[in-house]
Amino acid sequence: MKVKVSLRVNGKLYSREVEPRKLLVHFLRDDLKLKGTHIGCDTSNCGACTVLLDGRAVKSCTLFAVQANGHEVTTIEGISVNGQPHPLQDAFRKCFALQCGYCTPGMIMAAYYLLSMNPKPTEDEIRRALSGNLCMCTGYVKIIEAVRMASEIVSKGKR
Amino acid sequence: MRAVQEVHTKWVGKPVERFEDVRFTSGLGTYIDDIELPGMLYGGILMSPYAHAKIKSIDVSDALKDPNVVAVITGKEVKEKTKLVRPRAVRQVEQYVMAVDKAIFVGQPVAAIAVTDRYAVEDALELIRVEYEPLKPVVEIEDALDPNSPRIFEELNSNIIMEDRLIFGDVDGDFRRADVVVRERFRLHRFSSTPLETFGVIASYDPGWGELTVYANDQQPGRSIANLSYMLDIPTNRIRFVIPDVGGGFGIKLIVWPFEVIMSLLSIKTGRPVKWIQTRTEHLTAWTHTPDAMIDVEMALKRDGEILSIKVRDVENDGTFIHTTGLYSMIKFATICGCYKIKSVQFEPVSVVTNKGPVVQNRGVGKPGMIYVLERTVDIAAKALNMDPAEIRFRNFIQPNDFPYTTPSGEVYDSGDYPALLRRALEAVNYQQFRREQAELRAKGRYLGIGISASIEPGTSNIGYYYITRMKEGKEPDFYGADEGASVSVEPDGKVRVVLGSMDIGTGHETVARQVVADVLGVSPNDVYVMPGFDSRTSPYVGYSGTFSNKFHDVDVGAMIGAARLVREKILKIASHLLEISEEDLEISDGRVSVRGIPDKSLTFAQIAAIAYNKVLSLPPGMEPGLRATYVYKSPHCKIPRRDHFNVQVPKSSSVHIAIVEVDVHTGSVKILRYVIVHDCGNMINPKIVEGLIEGATLHGIAAVMMEEFVHNEEGQNVTATFADYLKPSTTESIKYEIYHHTTPSPFTPLGSKPVGEGGAIASMPAVVNAVEDALSPFGVRIRQLPLTPDRVLRLIEEARTKVSK
Repeated sequence: MKVKVSLRVNGKLYSREVEPRKLLVHFLRDDLKLKGTHIGCDTSNCGACTVLLDGRAVKSCTLFAVQANGHEVTTIEGISVNGQPHPLQDAFRKCFALQCGYCTPGMIMAAYYLLSMNPKPTEDEIRRALSGNLCMCTGYVKIIEAVRMASEIVSKGKR
Repeated sequence: MRAVQEVHTKWVGKPVERFEDVRFTSGLGTYIDDIELPGMLYGGILMSPYAHAKIKSIDVSDALKDPNVVAVITGKEVKEKTKLVRPRAVRQVEQYVMAVDKAIFVGQPVAAIAVTDRYAVEDALELIRVEYEPLKPVVEIEDALDPNSPRIFEELNSNIIMEDRLIFGDVDGDFRRADVVVRERFRLHRFSSTPLETFGVIASYDPGWGELTVYANDQQPGRSIANLSYMLDIPTNRIRFVIPDVGGGFGIKLIVWPFEVIMSLLSIKTGRPVKWIQTRTEHLTAWTHTPDAMIDVEMALKRDGEILSIKVRDVENDGTFIHTTGLYSMIKFATICGCYKIKSVQFEPVSVVTNKGPVVQNRGVGKPGMIYVLERTVDIAAKALNMDPAEIRFRNFIQPNDFPYTTPSGEVYDSGDYPALLRRALEAVNYQQFRREQAELRAKGRYLGIGISASIEPGTSNIGYYYITRMKEGKEPDFYGADEGASVSVEPDGKVRVVLGSMDIGTGHETVARQVVADVLGVSPNDVYVMPGFDSRTSPYVGYSGTFSNKFHDVDVGAMIGAARLVREKILKIASHLLEISEEDLEISDGRVSVRGIPDKSLTFAQIAAIAYNKVLSLPPGMEPGLRATYVYKSPHCKIPRRDHFNVQVPKSSSVHIAIVEVDVHTGSVKILRYVIVHDCGNMINPKIVEGLIEGATLHGIAAVMMEEFVHNEEGQNVTATFADYLKPSTTESIKYEIYHHTTPSPFTPLGSKPVGEGGAIASMPAVVNAVEDALSPFGVRIRQLPLTPDRVLRLIEEARTKVSK
């Protein structure tokens, strides 16, 4: 049995027939071919699948696609500004805040949500906001630096 | 190859931003699960729920009735269609990539299916009915050492699969001459660096061409191609092996190949591509861990602190999957002497078989364990001799003028200045001042401790050492030496293309290759394209091609320099011919060959390429058209291994880590207050990439001793198979590092570089544990078991108090 879902993803409206048990992350990846959102665990601990649902960071492996029906989803593919990278994307690159890159989309989306709520977070606030996103490569030092660097730009309202 | 003087270092040595990060930060990386092939099926594996059980029957009839199910295979078919898993360090026993009559660990494949939909996999697996007869499991090392324990491999007389003793130098004499002998038993627990991306495979057999294509996030394509060919009886010229972006490796992805074999069988059977993506629970359950170990050490010292000799009996619980059995022991020869002049060494490697499941070479393999044991023992010896832990290290360090230095077993050290590293680290923490503050704070009931660890970080494996114990039976290594290939071309439009025999696993190889090749050829890194990943159709691979054992900076870089130099020479020859100027009078910069002193008289790479590819009659007489070269670089510093003399690895980085911790003796929690690293990895090709690898690796080691542990119950069930139970550090547990570099270039590598990637994970374990033990020294605590979770720390304090009151 399939049901219809309609939702807006990165500003574009999609309608698809899906199994009710299909997870949002699989819907994004397999049905919409938005492969930037990754899967790193099966218990909602790693955060690789983090996207925004109506502007709030969620782990897309903990939601069914049908739960996103009528809502608005933003993924890593949808945060560039006029074709230019978002300050977080720039800062991650400039700070060497990634190695294998697998956690990066989820990490950037979690940081994106943080900066949308709190454009100038303290180091402690950055650490707490990202504590649900695991990175196995970097030791996090440069990730925290990158979020801080991006916050300088975001808080000044340059983007 | 001595290239360091000859390569212009316009880009080498600079913190060039990583080119690959443009795609990774945009969600445009291509990892294995992002690949879809037409007609693709989804693979699933039924894993044994028992640690040790006879498989009495498997009924797949219901599964085959499921309309989504296209094919099912069981161990019986695997046995018919493949061969035995080949061991390296130990003798052959009967083991296939799937359980046949008996399952020997939870998570062992018992059957596999190919279905039409990702979501139908779990449904279909439930339809396979397996009748098991549970057997008594063998779980801990002590159980395996008990001669009465149930045998796991019937053809062995016990559950000890490897046992050997190697002696180098006058061990008995040195122990007789010793004033003090320190004896200790250390336990190591199971942990893993757990790459965030689990294993993934897509196998696609084309019956028309008779070609098998395997996509996998595999770290060692050279070996995996050989394994696939052997297992499936398909010649290597009909195996195409492709590796896309890899979401972290750390050595764990050296063991994807058994699943490549299983998925290939399903693809051959169905005639369709089959994709399998491991779940996190499958990954953490059994695929795979570091081995738990029981390591007995004896160190013989003179009263003045001189270390004379060391004896190590190393029992590793790594016998369950025989391909990797013994490797944690054998590599210990690379670090058994650490940074010290030790005259003689006795080493007893022992591997036991239990039902805990496979192990694989996790970040540093047996070297973190060896350095942990050595650096803990040195601290304990200092205490026994009433010496300062810094002083005993200064007393025994290999000195800067001792290089190249050879250990008793034949391990050669290339370069280093260990006393300088320790001096710098002590300065950074203001050691004497800290000791005074420590005493003052103790009087106030605060327990601070400082832990020193001095370590080497070897790289570039001379892999024949796997066979050292089997040489007793006359078994020859199937491989020795260390090499890697690379191809470089200036394409018909003058742009540069690089194809490596190895692949990136998060290690920045694309960027480093652009830096190195740009400098050799005299172009901008922006004009160099490095083919991401690996494809055996174009990648110039060799027997052990891949990304492992800290070899990239050495043989991989040597290969790209070699290939780029061949192309450069050809460009100069063509330009010399066309400009009628001798090659010595030509220079190259920014993709242009010009006459020295007459910059107007020049040819661009595009103009030269146009001749080389298109107007081939204008080439110098006898010259082969094109501007393409492949080069395989072989380290000149590997020795053919002999049982009495061998080198395990080639260049040796070194570092001193100092941790300052505070222990809350009421809660058992440990807080790291400062962490200083003084690091020598020779000439750095990209210092920011180096820094990132140091930070990441150090957190691996810290987390391994502080929080991470795979726990098995008495049934052999891993009760920590999710990230909710197996705790990884996040931003709230991570710390900051004070990193200093002290560079001694390696004379053994093409650019004077030395290994980086594993070292943080090697040096950090003893630094943290020594610091905690130092903090708790007023209680007389001795740490023998890890990780140092709050409950264990409290227990240690309690036990020490009870002992004192008795």
